[in-house]
Amino acid sequence: MNFLPPIVKKGALAGFVFLLSYISVIAQDGKAIFQSQCQSCHALDKTVTGPALRGVEERGPWTDRKNLVKWVHNPGGFIPTTPYTQQLAAQFGGQVMPSFPQLSEAEINSIFDYIKTAPAAGTGGSGPTQPIGAGAGQESGNGELVFGIISIVLAVIALILMQVNSSLKKLSDDKERILRPEAVPFYRNKVYIALFALVFFVVGGFYVAKSAIGLGRQQGYQPTQPIYFSHKVHAGLNQINCLYCHGSAWESKHAGIPTLNICMNCHKSINTYEKGPQLHDEDGKEINGTAEINKLYQYAGFTPGPGAVWDPLKAKSPEWVKIHNLPDHVYFNHAQHTKVGGVACQSCHGNIQEMDKVYQASSLSMGWCINCHRESKVNFNYNDSSGNKFYSIYEKFHNDIRTGKMDSITVKDIGGLECQKCHY
Amino acid sequence: MKKIVIAFFSIITGLSLVSCGGAVGEDPGRAYMPDMYYARAYEAYGYNMVEGEYDSLRQRGIQYNGLLVPGSVARGDMLPYHLTGDTTGLKAADGLINPLDTLSQDSKIVKEGERLYLVNCGICHGTALDGNGPLWKGGEGPYPAKPQVLNDAQAKGWTDGHYYHVITFGKGAMGSYASQLRPEQRWVVIQYIRSKQGGAIQDSTGGGAPTVLNQTNTADGDTTKKK
Repeated sequence: MNFLPPIVKKGALAGFVFLLSYISVIAQDGKAIFQSQCQSCHALDKTVTGPALRGVEERGPWTDRKNLVKWVHNPGGFIPTTPYTQQLAAQFGGQVMPSFPQLSEAEINSIFDYIKTAPAAGTGGSGPTQPIGAGAGQESGNGELVFGIISIVLAVIALILMQVNSSLKKLSDDKERILRPEAVPFYRNKVYIALFALVFFVVGGFYVAKSAIGLGRQQGYQPTQPIYFSHKVHAGLNQINCLYCHGSAWESKHAGIPTLNICMNCHKSINTYEKGPQLHDEDGKEINGTAEINKLYQYAGFTPGPGAVWDPLKAKSPEWVKIHNLPDHVYFNHAQHTKVGGVACQSCHGNIQEMDKVYQASSLSMGWCINCHRESKVNFNYNDSSGNKFYSIYEKFHNDIRTGKMDSITVKDIGGLECQKCHY
Repeated sequence: MKKIVIAFFSIITGLSLVSCGGAVGEDPGRAYMPDMYYARAYEAYGYNMVEGEYDSLRQRGIQYNGLLVPGSVARGDMLPYHLTGDTTGLKAADGLINPLDTLSQDSKIVKEGERLYLVNCGICHGTALDGNGPLWKGGEGPYPAKPQVLNDAQAKGWTDGHYYHVITFGKGAMGSYASQLRPEQRWVVIQYIRSKQGGAIQDSTGGGAPTVLNQTNTADGDTTKKK
């Protein structure tokens, strides 16, 4: 090779390197192009907007790569040419794939090379997670039972020992001929009666008062809903904003139950539950997420399948059970708290993003409301955009803050404790 | 005897009071005045409890989904949208003009647009408009279709009207957002997307970007090279 001029050598080397890198770019790009161009409508193992693509080259006219290239460049023109594609178009309700004339033949080949070699789903994925809560819950329940039995047994033993003690004492007294007055039985003993009455009064009074206060409060209420909708999966795991479904909490009195079209926005495509952790109800029984999604389809009147179209008129609303309830004589407005007050959903509803089955976390009693109104500070910075300009009318408070008489304004100061604010 | 009767009744009263109240699991507990606690009046989202009219709205073909009754306009709202939800409508939507002032990036509008985008769009299209929201997560999320990247050359080339039409009717796997976003809110969201497309693109393609985004960009680069 020494007789070649150095420029030619360099040129050949550069060309070779270029060719190599070009080939490797094409081979790599099959996946990248698939992800950027195809994956909006196609998945490998699942029919989404378009059919599943795994094994596509064994079906219909696609055994010939040339047909595939023609199809990708102009699907509309290809449909009438074979019965297979005509049937496909009918199956997907006349929805035709857009054409991709910008993809070169090599790129299309690389896409289908990738589809052929793509690893099957589930390999290397995270395995099913072990149920943690179930066993622990049972153990703690057992513990309470064991402690109860032990204390009852100990109490019985103490009673027996006391009886034995008194009988022995009587026997020894008889032997030594000491005459003692007849022992008063414990139920006539005034000290015992007084003690018992006191304990009964205190303990009984505590429980009576507690349960009387609890009347009409539903803290801990956790009803079974028509669909096992896990807020933990939706709001926690998948980070869906509360307002995505309960949008009216931002602009109206009611937080609102999402209508089925909002569920179906995602669940038209998501029809199995497989990637999240195994769900368990409060008794530790396994919940089949896919079956719960199918319950949604029954309410929505939707049959998943290729080219399935959802008709909202077939829908029937699931009858969700209302958990958080306020009596008629209380006015509560969500928008006033979320948008104006900037209160997070969790401060009243608890850690909703960690609840599989929602329960009422707060008591929603009047004392609870009042407490928060006493403690919550109002953002009085109406000069920057974060504060509410309405508060500029509280001239005295602004003066007091300026002179240092007050350091912060709470909801109480702007009328948060007035009866008519909530009761009218 | 009298004493025993008194003691007996006081214990019974105490026990019955103790058993009251206290919601646990399926049991909502008791209320002082159930008529006041559980409204007799119609409540929001409640059913019409009149015999025989239970599901009457649905029988009349009215399916509540947060949308206006066809043919009506909400007070203060924009005029109704006449384009259809098919491909012809999508093409015609290119002619729509954004009624908002698109030149001056009003910070208030952009801020509200950001809020609406993060609530409604971010879970799929990603907070950085990279099409990699928590529902997709580079293929790890539950959503089977890859959401559209909103800051690539293709997305930048779409008209505002195209975006408006897609938000209103959905496209591909995406559903309609007409019930979640009022017409002017849709334009506000578009304004926010435009503001993000204009500024932060260079930053997001640089270091620290998710792998999917990088691959997308290489693919885009290649297609333009070959054209």
